[in-house]
Amino acid sequence: MAERMTRGGFAQPGSAMAFKTGSWRDLVAPRHLHGLAPCAGACPAGEDAQAYLAPLTNGDVKSAWEILVTANPLPATTGRICHHPCETACNRGQFDEALAIHAVERYLGDAALHNQWAYPGIPQTTTEPAVAVVGGGPAGLACAYHLRRLGHAVTIFDALVEPGGTVATSIPPYRMPKEILQAEARRILETGITWQGHTRVGSDVDLDELRREFAAVFLAPGSQRTKPWDVAGVVPAQLHDGLALLHTWMEVGSMPPWHKIAVVGGGNTSVDVARALKRCGVEEVHLVTHNGLPWDAEDPMRAIAREVRQAMEEGVVIHANCGAERLLLRGNRIIGVVLVAMKKMRGADGKWHRHGFPGTEQVLMVDEVIPAIGQTVDPSGFESLLQGLDYFDVDHHGRMTHHQGLYAGGDARSGSSGMASPAIGDGRRAAAAIHAALCNNPLLPEKQRPLVPITEMHLQYFETAPRAEPSILPVAQRQGEAEIEQSLTARQALDEAVRCLSCGNCMICDNCWTFCPDQAVLKLNHTIQGDGSPYVFDMAFCKGCGICANECPTAFIRMAPEQDEQG
Amino acid sequence: MNNTAALRDMSSIRQQQSRFEGLTPGHRACQGCGQALAARLVLESSGPDVVVANATGCLEVFTTAWPQSAWTIPWMHSVFSNTAALAAGMEAAFKARDISTKVLAFAGDGGTFDIGFQALSGMIERGHNVLFVCYDNEAYMNTGVQRSSSTPVAAATTTSPAGIARTGKRHLKKDIVAIIAAHCMPYAATASVAYPNDLKDKVRRGIQTPGPAFLMIHSPCPLGWMHDSAKGIEVARLGVETGLVPLIEMEYGQQTSAMPLRRVRPVVDYLKPQGRFRHLFADDPMARQELAHLQALADHNIAHYGLQESQPESGDSHAAASVRRGTVAVVPPGAV
Ligand SMILES: Cc1cc2nc3c(=O)[nH]c(=O)nc-3n(C[C@H](O)[C@H](O)[C@H](O)COP(=O)(O)OP(=O)(O)OC[C@H]3O[C@@H](n4cnc5c(N)ncnc54)[C@H](O)[C@@H]3O)c2cc1C
Ligand SMILES: Cc1ncc(C[n+]2csc(CCOP(=O)(O)OP(=O)(O)O)c2C)c(N)n1
Ligand code: SF4
Ligand code: SF4
Ligand code: SF4
Repeated sequence: MAERMTRGGFAQPGSAMAFKTGSWRDLVAPRHLHGLAPCAGACPAGEDAQAYLAPLTNGDVKSAWEILVTANPLPATTGRICHHPCETACNRGQFDEALAIHAVERYLGDAALHNQWAYPGIPQTTTEPAVAVVGGGPAGLACAYHLRRLGHAVTIFDALVEPGGTVATSIPPYRMPKEILQAEARRILETGITWQGHTRVGSDVDLDELRREFAAVFLAPGSQRTKPWDVAGVVPAQLHDGLALLHTWMEVGSMPPWHKIAVVGGGNTSVDVARALKRCGVEEVHLVTHNGLPWDAEDPMRAIAREVRQAMEEGVVIHANCGAERLLLRGNRIIGVVLVAMKKMRGADGKWHRHGFPGTEQVLMVDEVIPAIGQTVDPSGFESLLQGLDYFDVDHHGRMTHHQGLYAGGDARSGSSGMASPAIGDGRRAAAAIHAALCNNPLLPEKQRPLVPITEMHLQYFETAPRAEPSILPVAQRQGEAEIEQSLTARQALDEAVRCLSCGNCMICDNCWTFCPDQAVLKLNHTIQGDGSPYVFDMAFCKGCGICANECPTAFIRMAPEQDEQG
Repeated sequence: MNNTAALRDMSSIRQQQSRFEGLTPGHRACQGCGQALAARLVLESSGPDVVVANATGCLEVFTTAWPQSAWTIPWMHSVFSNTAALAAGMEAAFKARDISTKVLAFAGDGGTFDIGFQALSGMIERGHNVLFVCYDNEAYMNTGVQRSSSTPVAAATTTSPAGIARTGKRHLKKDIVAIIAAHCMPYAATASVAYPNDLKDKVRRGIQTPGPAFLMIHSPCPLGWMHDSAKGIEVARLGVETGLVPLIEMEYGQQTSAMPLRRVRPVVDYLKPQGRFRHLFADDPMARQELAHLQALADHNIAHYGLQESQPESGDSHAAASVRRGTVAVVPPGAV
């Protein structure tokens, strides 16, 4: 052997690689840990933005869309109307500006419609009996889609002729073009779903009948019944409900000939009604809400910030932190409304109450006061389930605890925030629960990955870059059905994807491979492993110095106790 | 997978790495050694057609625990003082036999600034075609952290301890690059392990220089600088970002480039993580004065080398050592 030599002799040295410096590690070892990016943690529909932005950085639009629709089958829709909490959570927001996730989502959704891509991974075979879904809005469509992905036959019952639910009936075309929603809904139905339009559960078909004939029933009727409203016990003689007005406007395109109007409510409905009134030429439109503005830290209104901003641009006057205290009447006719400043405060009982402050009254002289304060579930047909409650009570998976085989989600469940993307998430979770029940499998909790806050990232490796901004129609051009916010160009979408910091996931930057002083990080040729990276640690030589973890921009490498090491 | 299979698998993966491994793992450098990383990066961009003359010091010791060696290129150990002479001799022999193999000389700062300096000056003066690389860890580390003429002012070493009378080393770091450049030197540059692309570029330029070239690489030493082994790259980067470690190139005595600083950090950011400067954060007027001194030195460097005179181009990954996700994708045909 080369290792033995006599004095003055010659020998080839052996390789230092016979000496395994891995034994020097002191309790901790580097480990790949695919953390949860804040965007993914915040998405109510369950999307992992980072996962679909990754193929987009290489120009692979189709793969990006295919990853996106593993969670949300309606991206061209949510890309337009979602309140995008992902962007509020996006780590990049603390670095320069948040990723324009909704705009990329919309770009992918539009690209799929344009290219007529079909959903991937829908099995041909279906298990019978089918699952019944009541309501073809976002919740029902998402549930049906995911059930199809899981191999089940599905029938959707809806009182309306067309799918789309409230998004189709109530969101104005200037921000949700009908044909986009219809195309996405149609594509969902084309996965092999039976659509039973014009069929109201409770009158055309009985819930008990459905429970007998179907393997399970998912209830997603939304909230369609207007909440009762009065001002100090007084109701206007001719009550115009905000949502009903909006429906009329969307169908016939006009509003009564008013001059000055106050709309009451802090949700999306009140904002859309106010904007529709403005478009119909009403000179003064006031929006009165108990809440603060959407961007206020305290008690923000539920309406989407972007929409409120645009409404203000269009001339809607917002009275935030205000309540209607009294209607000013001349006989039956409304001539004005008295507003009072209000604030949500914690009382002595520890509960939140709204207080009006005497002495802050102001009078708005208006022709009508229009409530748009929200809806509850229309109980007809579901009386036995609701038992007087406004919404269905369900667990995290949409299961109605006391009713075997019944599930519910979307706007109709208690605790819902009344938005489309949470409804989609509800549909997805319920589909998983139904699938588990029908297969007699235990319902496994969704895999929880630890969240990656920006403080764990190594930001020195990133450069600032401006966020992609879609172009917005100037106020003067906001007419008819013209969409206000435009789509990103392909160039913008691709560049935006590159801005993603890849929080918690390997971005294949080579830093660990480059910086390890012991070459204990090896790179596989073009192989992405299950953990999402093409790198492996050669633990025989890793001394556990921690450099790779410290220089990993994305916090994908963590130093972890040795026993956690999985080889 | 059982252990032997895993090992076999690793070694076949190792053989497929898309880089030249002139220095193998299994070397006995401390956890997080900057010098081990620097040497590998140098060979990555110069090998395999090179030979190395290596001065006594950490690099020599930790790579060659007899009967093993971590070098995969011909390598020769010189005594502490004569690395440049050995390299010059090898180069002369190659020249006589018309061999084009490049000769590299490796030494620590002790072996460059102090004890190896005379031989180095002679080698340059005689115009030998050698790239001399100084791994600057700013003290005699292998014998237990004694101050060298490269140790920065105020750093504590075993021979320049901090105490009641003194705040670490009293003398300035020698401006070795200026001295080397004064030899009518074709190429002299400084680099840092925190900027590996820039480092590898400078190695390539040094290799291509016909005649002597000199590269000094700022190489953190967790033991001697007393920082967390995970923080080596971070400390090196902060050295550059504060202006204390200017990354420059000099050709024929003239400065021809400086890596521009995107953001200038206060020197305390660099000093704080290092135990060798801990005494500067004591509540003591002498300590405050030395801190101000180091800040003034950094400010002087920024002005003297023009570290803020040019702006790095966006996407210039060398200067920023920045990363981006994916490739610069072209818009696919048919995209909407
Ligand atoms: C004016 C307005 C603006 C909005 N703007 C936004 C926005 O910008 N962004 C956002 O995220 N969300 C917005 N929303 C809320 C969003 O539309 C809802 O959160 C979402 O549609 C809820 O989906 P869902 O599937 O639970 O119910 P829905 O969409 O309401 O669908 C329920 C479906 O069930 C059917 N149905 C009801 N009862 C029965 C029955 N007994 N038998 C058979 N079928 C029945 C209905 O016909 C309907 O098609 C807005 C809502 C309104 C009113
Ligand atoms: C002539 C001579 N003097 C002293 C030594 C002892 N000695 C061996 S290594 C070393 C320190 C080397 O310091 P440096 O050149 O800075 O390299 P480092 O170990 O820091 O990498 C010393 C002093 C020696 N080998 N030869
Ligand atoms: S930077 Fe990317 S991964 Fe990180 S939160 Fe934002 S979109 Fe998600
Ligand atoms: S840099 Fe290398 S030696 Fe250090 S912990 Fe990472 S893999 Fe191990
Ligand atoms: S350092 Fe870069 S390549 Fe290595 S794991 Fe982290 S993100 Fe991936």
